Amino acid sequence: MKAIDLLKKFTIIFVLIGLVIVFSVINPVFFSVQNFTNIFVQQSYVIIAAIGLAFVMISGGMDLSVGYQMSMVGIMTALAMMWWNLPMPVAVVIGLATGVLLGIINGVAAVSLKVHPLIVTLGTMTIFQGVSYIISNSNPIFGLPDSFKFLGQGYVLGIPVCVLIMIVIVALASLILNKTYFGRYVYALGSNDEAAHLAGVNVKWMKVCVFIISGFCVAISSIILVARAGSATSATGVGTEFTCMTAAVLGGVSFKGGAGKVWGVITGVLILGVLSSGMQIIGLGTYPQYVAKGLVLLAAVGFDNYQKTAKVKKVD
Amino acid sequence: MEPILSLNHITKLYPGVVALNDFSVDFAPGEVHALLGENGAGKSTLIKVISGAIAPDKGEIQFKGKKYSKMTPAISRGEGIEVIYQEFNLVDTLSVAENICMGERYGRFVDFKKMEEKAAEIFTKFKIDINPKETVESLSTAHKQIVEISKAISKKCDLLIMDEPSAPLTVNEVDAMFDIVRTLKAQGITIIYISHRMDEIFTIADRVTVMRDGGFVKTLYVKDTDRDELISLMVGRELSGTYPAPEKTYEEELFRVENMSGNGDKDISFSLRKGEILGLAGLVGAGRTELARLIYGADRAEAGKMYLEGKEIAIKSTSDAIRSGIGLIPEDRKQQGCFLEQSIEWNIAFNNIRNMSKSGFVDRKKVRETSEKYCDILRVKTPSLNQFVKNLSGGNQQKVVIAKTLAAQSKVIIFDEPTRGIDVGAKHEIYELMCSLADEGIGIIMISSDMEELLGMSQRILVMAEGKINGELEKEKFSQETILKYASNC
Repeated sequence: MKAIDLLKKFTIIFVLIGLVIVFSVINPVFFSVQNFTNIFVQQSYVIIAAIGLAFVMISGGMDLSVGYQMSMVGIMTALAMMWWNLPMPVAVVIGLATGVLLGIINGVAAVSLKVHPLIVTLGTMTIFQGVSYIISNSNPIFGLPDSFKFLGQGYVLGIPVCVLIMIVIVALASLILNKTYFGRYVYALGSNDEAAHLAGVNVKWMKVCVFIISGFCVAISSIILVARAGSATSATGVGTEFTCMTAAVLGGVSFKGGAGKVWGVITGVLILGVLSSGMQIIGLGTYPQYVAKGLVLLAAVGFDNYQKTAKVKKVD
Repeated sequence: MEPILSLNHITKLYPGVVALNDFSVDFAPGEVHALLGENGAGKSTLIKVISGAIAPDKGEIQFKGKKYSKMTPAISRGEGIEVIYQEFNLVDTLSVAENICMGERYGRFVDFKKMEEKAAEIFTKFKIDINPKETVESLSTAHKQIVEISKAISKKCDLLIMDEPSAPLTVNEVDAMFDIVRTLKAQGITIIYISHRMDEIFTIADRVTVMRDGGFVKTLYVKDTDRDELISLMVGRELSGTYPAPEKTYEEELFRVENMSGNGDKDISFSLRKGEILGLAGLVGAGRTELARLIYGADRAEAGKMYLEGKEIAIKSTSDAIRSGIGLIPEDRKQQGCFLEQSIEWNIAFNNIRNMSKSGFVDRKKVRETSEKYCDILRVKTPSLNQFVKNLSGGNQQKVVIAKTLAAQSKVIIFDEPTRGIDVGAKHEIYELMCSLADEGIGIIMISSDMEELLGMSQRILVMAEGKINGELEKEKFSQETILKYASNC
């Protein structure tokens, strides 16, 4: 592979390295183990949710309901412990089951209504929001047990637990997408669902499956977030869908489906994380950060599109 | 009488194909003039030349006394030429009146009343009861077509081209459409009428022009001719080229379909021997691809049984079909056959990827070996198996699609238009491949609109028309005329 191809393939990794260098030069405090650990701890839940969303996006779908899925999972997990007095592991299982159930709802709705998942999840997003607030009655749930907070705040062998969980999810997702036939089916669905149908793929079942995976990842993500905060509200996790989408697109997951890599998604999330952290350190607040993130996304998508059209010309 | 439209020596070349070859014909004012020809005879190209959608390479068009080297859509419509295509050009969500008056302006604001009056006026003339306020999406197909016709004649229209107008209609609706055509004719509008259905030509047309392979054959008065003459004019082609034939013949039955219905097809039964190449002939829309999709489980059959090697097989999905040993090479390789954004290796292994996996994990070595093997057999020309399929030529893409089906160990393979749009060399390689598959005992069902190829390759031909099998011919009895007779249902 030529240097230029390498550069093209791993553009966003170079962007990430570039950002790290720029912030480190402006303020050397940025370049510290402590800060990098912070970034990973802060972003681990986003990475997990973004990987879930990536499954849906690679298969050609979209999930706008990620944020309110997180909201519902958080509320369900917290109330299982605080209102129903269930032990922590059971509450976690209830949280995960909630995520899977919401995934099934999204998937079944998309398949049976024959409407693009974007529209379907626009609907379910609003439903989940309502249900979450009805259940919580808009009250926060405080005072979660320490055994639960450990998932978001604890360390094992000096490594944050949430980062360990993230590593497991990343490994599993890479394994599924790259090494299994199921992974190939996900890509096939996004590349050409008619051809996938004719190649023996049960397209409807696959569409439900990717939403289940997404729901499961979102549930883990939500549990980590709630454990870190120590409390749950119906606003927990809301807005994560757009961070995840931005990161996924930055990381090369195609909006049309059929393309995308786990490392790309991680890099996408980290770019956003480094931007936040770096701009914070050099004294720029939240609002300039929004501007910067938006610009980075537009630049990345524009560059990608430019590359693709350039390629098409070459083939002709 | 001076012709309203004359085409003089029109030639249109596409890469590798002569779509129209030195074609000349005259259309008289106020006549219904039918165009007749097989699939690929050049009828569509001719319409496009007249409507200005494409420019001819050579020749001259004379319309109402003016000469043009080519038409443009603006000129042709401005001069009064309207085309009604098979796919309607209507905005479903707007009202009938709005559709009919689309593109017209009465003052600064939309004048619904005037539009509705205009629509109503046209409908009264046709004695058709359609409410101009109704939205188009709530109309039946027949009424949509009437709206389309009304839209065309609401403008200044002297020449109306109708491309297979009867295709979407039921028998009664066709009669109603004919009444409209007669009304238009009485008003002096010239109509060019394209249809595959011979009986319609005898019902409605004054003259008929037969086309073959892009060339003009003959223009006749309908009253002076008959079906047999027209069919012999349509075929009259010399069979050129040689086709390979399988070396072995098997006697035993491999596959049988009994009373299959669904997808527009009715009560289809046939059987296929081991190592046999069975051709499926028929005009576009006869239900051949639909049959292939039923057998393959891509669409649900309403009724029918299938037997493979004597045992009944239940196929409810495409994966059932693949598992039972039935393969399909779809007609549209880009949309249905392959994954353009993935590698050759990825594509070839895909249909059988579950069997190349151990507890869910893909065996990369097996995938590599399988794709190497089939790339070799099919002689796919590529520098690497990692090449994306979108970077291959049409012929090589088709080979990848075939390899993908072969790699799934099929016993029966349906080839739907296997050589459409690929070059002669690759065509022959595919023919040879089909023969060697037949030698191995694989049963082949071949759907093709290329009559020559179908006659050359098949050992037996089933002719379909309107969702039914209309005739069966053994090799000794092959003739283009008989096939066309069965295919056009007469």
